[in-house]
Amino acid sequence: MDFAQLFLAILFFGSLVGIYIFLFLKNKKTPKPEGCENLKADCEGCKDIYCPNHPTKEES
Amino acid sequence: MIGELITLLITSVLLNNAVLNQFLGLCPFMGVSRKKSSALGMGVAVVFVIVAAGIVTYGLYHLVLVPLNLEFMDLVTFILVIASLVQLTEMFLKKSSPALYKSLGVYLPLITTNCVVLNVCLVNISNGYDIAHMLVYTIGTPLGFALVLYIFSCIRERLEVADVPQCFKGNPIALIVAGLMAMAFSGLAGII
Repeated sequence: MDFAQLFLAILFFGSLVGIYIFLFLKNKKTPKPEGCENLKADCEGCKDIYCPNHPTKEES
Repeated sequence: MIGELITLLITSVLLNNAVLNQFLGLCPFMGVSRKKSSALGMGVAVVFVIVAAGIVTYGLYHLVLVPLNLEFMDLVTFILVIASLVQLTEMFLKKSSPALYKSLGVYLPLITTNCVVLNVCLVNISNGYDIAHMLVYTIGTPLGFALVLYIFSCIRERLEVADVPQCFKGNPIALIVAGLMAMAFSGLAGII
């Protein structure tokens, strides 16, 4: 792999991460519609304790 | 060509089902299948995100990664594209369709970690599909996922009122049902 290709790879990866961060922040700032403020998934939890819908996340 | 596409569609929906044959997406399959309404919401959200992610990643791979000789970055690119698409979809639904957001919004973050989405994007590339095959496979796989999820939720709703032995209640009987469903679906192999 030459230097130009490495530079392209880093640039491409950086731009994808940048797009994700931009969309994440934009989405976070967008207000939820009326009546959707406290939506909860009907999920009682599997073994994936890192999932945002796992019941232990709501307790903390 | 048409026959081949129909075969691919039937295979991706029924025979090579993402959940029952490839054991992908088992987390939402077990977690969001207690009620028919939530299973349907999750199914629709998965179909929407997979179709969008499949088309975008296929285009990005052939129009950007291949010309720049960056094919080795396919996995990391697809993960970031899927995560970005989920954010974009959620934002779009919040602004344009509150009713749709109310029914699908809670499942969208869960889809980011659904391995069926990444599998569809990677299979499209590794199998060397052209655009028609890619579209059929990208639509067929989430349809199969949604179909199985909905059937499973119907069975689980019935199991809630069934006389199941105490030690089998909950997840054990659900896993047995999933196994029986996998066997039933494998019996459809003769239709092709």
